[in-house]
Amino acid sequence: MAIDFEDVNEQLRIISLSGRLDIAGTSEIELKFTTLSTVTSKRVVVDLTSISFLASIGIRALITNAKALQQRGGKMVLFVGDNAVVAKTLEMTGIDVLIPMFTDTVEAQKEALA
Amino acid sequence: MIGQLAVSDVDTAAALSIRADVSEVRRASEWLEKTCQERGVPEDETGRLDLCLNEALANALTHGQAGGAPQPIRLRLAVSRENEVAEATVTVSDAGIAFDPLAAVPKLRPKTLAEAEPGGLGLFMIQSITDKLSYRYDDGYNHLSFSVCW
Repeated sequence: MAIDFEDVNEQLRIISLSGRLDIAGTSEIELKFTTLSTVTSKRVVVDLTSISFLASIGIRALITNAKALQQRGGKMVLFVGDNAVVAKTLEMTGIDVLIPMFTDTVEAQKEALA
Repeated sequence: MIGQLAVSDVDTAAALSIRADVSEVRRASEWLEKTCQERGVPEDETGRLDLCLNEALANALTHGQAGGAPQPIRLRLAVSRENEVAEATVTVSDAGIAFDPLAAVPKLRPKTLAEAEPGGLGLFMIQSITDKLSYRYDDGYNHLSFSVCW
């Protein structure tokens, strides 16, 4: 698992996750992911295009942080690109209703800042 | 016909025993991916089985076992073909406290982030992804079987 971030400007941060968000993978990045996504009240785009596997524990990490960010006045959106496996899992679990999901990076950033 | 099916099932079955520990989950996934590939299970179906296996193991490890030395968790993959339909079934057998995931009523999916609470998602995923799901408790073991067809 790898986690990286880029601050596009003062409002917008992109957090990129790659690898397997299974039990082991989620525990590897959980602390850093929480720190990066909730210490500010920024708008955050989480880039999931390089996630090869998404288990419920990974989804829970997304929900927990999106919720904490929202309570701080921030906002999280998900960017999946053409990652059909991840998009399917997010749709099946109804997570795309809770955290907006985009296949287009420009739209994802626009929604995050809206 | 029944005899032939049984033989073909034995030919394509594989088994693995893992320790009842979260550090073993990835080894189980690697085993599943390799054995599925060897048996011609398509990539998408392997992915569905892998997701279910992860959720089933997470549940088994969370519910835990009664006292005494932890018993290993046994995994089995069987692939069968009948006419035009192929089916791959994974059975997870754990010595944990009896728990029938089929009897658990899935929670309603939340409509907003504020309502969302962790928990129950793994079971919902298993129920949604698989084509067949069965459970029995036998000899002190939970046996959860899930199948995908193609």
